[in-house]
Amino acid sequence: MAIKYHWPLPSRQYKSLIALQILIALATGFLLFNSYGNLIGRDAGTALLVVMLGLKVIEIRNERDYYLSCFLGYFLVATNFLYSQSIATASLMFIVVILMTNCLISVNDNNQVLSKQKQLKMASKLLLQSIPLMLVLFVFFPRIAGPLWGLPQDAHTAKTGIDNKMTLGRISQLIQSDAVAFRVKFDNEIPPSAERYWRGPVLWETDGTTWTELQFNSKNKKPTITSSGQAYPYTITLEPHDKHWIFALDFPTNLAKVQKTIQTHDGKLQSIKPINQRVQYKLISHTQFEFNANNDTHLDRALQLPEGQHARTKQLAQQWLQISSDPQQLIQRALQHFNQQNFFYTLSPSVLTGDTIDNFLFESRRGFCEHYAASFTVLMRAAGIPTRIVTGYQGGDINPVDDYLIVRQQDAHAWTEVWLAGQGWIRVDPTAAVAQDRIELGMDNIMPSAMRAPLFFASSSQLIDAWQSIRNNWDAINNAWNRSILAYGPELQKLFLSSLGMTSPDWQKMTIYLVVLFNLVLLIIVAFMLYNKKNNDPIVATYQQFCKKLARFDIKRDNHEGPLSFANKTKTLLPHYQANIETITQLYIDLRYGRQQSSLNDLKQAVKQFKPKKTMK
Amino acid sequence: MRAHDIDAVLTSLNTIILGKAAVTKLALTCLLAKGHLLIEDLPGVGKTTLAHSLAKILGLDFQRIQFTSDMLPADIVGVSVFERDSNQFNFHKGPIFSQLILSDEVNRATPRTQSALLESMEERQVSIEGQTYVLPEPFFVIATQNPSNQIGTFPLPESQLDRFLMRLELGYPNAEAERSLLTGVDRNSLLQKQEAVINSEQLLQIQNAVTDIHVSSALIDYVQKLLDYSRVSERYHYGLSPRAGLGLVHAAQAWALIEQREQVLPEDIQAVFGSVVGHRLISREGQSAEQLATDILSQVPIP
Repeated sequence: MAIKYHWPLPSRQYKSLIALQILIALATGFLLFNSYGNLIGRDAGTALLVVMLGLKVIEIRNERDYYLSCFLGYFLVATNFLYSQSIATASLMFIVVILMTNCLISVNDNNQVLSKQKQLKMASKLLLQSIPLMLVLFVFFPRIAGPLWGLPQDAHTAKTGIDNKMTLGRISQLIQSDAVAFRVKFDNEIPPSAERYWRGPVLWETDGTTWTELQFNSKNKKPTITSSGQAYPYTITLEPHDKHWIFALDFPTNLAKVQKTIQTHDGKLQSIKPINQRVQYKLISHTQFEFNANNDTHLDRALQLPEGQHARTKQLAQQWLQISSDPQQLIQRALQHFNQQNFFYTLSPSVLTGDTIDNFLFESRRGFCEHYAASFTVLMRAAGIPTRIVTGYQGGDINPVDDYLIVRQQDAHAWTEVWLAGQGWIRVDPTAAVAQDRIELGMDNIMPSAMRAPLFFASSSQLIDAWQSIRNNWDAINNAWNRSILAYGPELQKLFLSSLGMTSPDWQKMTIYLVVLFNLVLLIIVAFMLYNKKNNDPIVATYQQFCKKLARFDIKRDNHEGPLSFANKTKTLLPHYQANIETITQLYIDLRYGRQQSSLNDLKQAVKQFKPKKTMK
Repeated sequence: MRAHDIDAVLTSLNTIILGKAAVTKLALTCLLAKGHLLIEDLPGVGKTTLAHSLAKILGLDFQRIQFTSDMLPADIVGVSVFERDSNQFNFHKGPIFSQLILSDEVNRATPRTQSALLESMEERQVSIEGQTYVLPEPFFVIATQNPSNQIGTFPLPESQLDRFLMRLELGYPNAEAERSLLTGVDRNSLLQKQEAVINSEQLLQIQNAVTDIHVSSALIDYVQKLLDYSRVSERYHYGLSPRAGLGLVHAAQAWALIEQREQVLPEDIQAVFGSVVGHRLISREGQSAEQLATDILSQVPIP
């Protein structure tokens, strides 16, 4: 092909170089394949691009290579948004795009006319000018429901969050993270912290150390729930966590309206697709409810305990059972036990070995919510009361800036539910018996100050407050960004466009609108540039002011009329102002066509003082 | 002093060439810009008189070459003659070795002879048998041409027309001027009596001063726009050459000097535009040179 198109054949030196390059490229490909398993997909693809761009920079030889590298750089910027769409990323990428544009400008600036600052200024200007176009594209670019081209499998990496199994110590790892789990906007009142239990997976089965969900096809088993008490309508914006469940305040009553979600037999809200994008849903919850009050088909599973374990715990339960077999009293006794027997609530419990439940109850007595929930469950089950563990979040902070309730990973919690005949499943939170503040004031208030704020902010309570308010404001901004920018999908777009008067726009129509708008914006920009160009020379602009003043007397300057001939024409028409006209013309001629010995200010002054009156005509 | 000189030259010129102030001013402009002049008109309207009076007033050597169809290049540039006394060839300079040359009816000569003239005009030197002879300074050629539709002419091709900075037409005098021509003193005797107003030394100084007239970038923009227009527009066979643009600027500089200004204005370009551009543009629609020039000027806005 090279011969056919008369391309210059590479010289001998180059040939060996090219062989080396091919070798490097192959090696890179092999290494990437080795570490990612394939060369397609988000991570491997991006890595390939990064490595290739790096290699390309080494062998830049001509202008074409520069351009290629720059454009590859732009593409690389775009790939960043596959990983993060936060404000920080967007700002950083904006800066990177300015720098890339700066590179392109400097490549094109063959004669090195522009200084570095000027190049940067020009790049920034270019980018600012592209903002209207960006807005139009953002608003009108057709959003097609569902990804147009499927994102690769690995596009959604593992994220932190509540799991559907619990091993003691797992949740206390979660609370190290202040990442947002979800945000809630209550339509009216916000329920008190002690009533804010955000329900997640329910754990039934245990092998002594790990608790898991009930393995059971529960599609048709709907629980019977009767709700009463105050209704709280609210909207949750759930951050992606790659799991199938969504969180809600206890048991919402309007689930039919939340699409593609079902309520399982134990009250978990199960989504059909994993939540790998931010989702928003509206729910109504009540503070009082009865859950499967009369019967539950799985009561036997709520009594299951592993054989031959937790001997001491079982023994304790038997002792209690002999005193009283009334379930209410048994529950009270267990809670009192936690409260009075020197149990401590700690965020960093010691690692338990052997029989973890026995160890916790009788040896360490230091634990986190999961320890209390798990041991309480074992105690109750041993005493013959059906009990299950519910995981989820508890509490959450109210952001005073935008009145959103923010629930973070640190608010992760585990509590229990016991089944009492006639009352159904009742929530019992053994952690509340140990650490009342955790439930009533929220996690943030019981955390040691070192965990509440980073670095020197932790040193005084005022600084912690300052940190909190910074965090609140930042979170409000993030929230607004999420709601208005990132959540702008097909639904919002449809809503917005129909408010503009476009009824049921499909994406074909949208494309036409987009093209039209695109051209319109370009036209406006061109017009703006032309207009600007006419006036960008202050000398000319000042002179045009002078001409405008004269135009009021119907003395118009033809655009092919030179200043001197115009002055001569004007002088005969406005003889009273001969002197003014002459000075202005002289100044203008010197500034524009001469050696510029006069100053622009003189011209400006002269034009300013030139106020011909109609009566003099 | 310089302004005074130029004024004096123009006044003297206008006492001999009556009623043609605009043309004489342009002719002087052409000379000051170191360009050559082509005058195209009917016989008897005063072409020769103009050339002759310019030579007289500016104190230049004057040679008139009457072109005929049997003329050879040697008749213009000169010839080497073998001389018995010294036993060697001696170069006898032709009429071109003069400061001001009137090449009358240049389109009567054959193309070969025409080229000899035009080449030496451009190069300002003559090469014969390996010897280079520099032409005198200042050097100014006024060629006259009968309108090309007359019988027995070899019209100058475009490439050679381009070497003339300006083409002027004298035209018939107006009634008043013609009356004084008819009743007044004979032009020839007037010419005989005419004294030189300046000498060639002074003329050279003035010519050099022309190049000092300031040409701003805004003005260059305007010139470029004019050139562009002629190239883009469909109305002309060929656009203007860069040489035409250069000529335009030089001529405008000379004009600005005559107008006693230190910088070139768009008006100066407009003043010389017709005569500089007229013979270089050929209209597709058969418009006259004057018409072409005014059209372009009215179409192109001053930036």
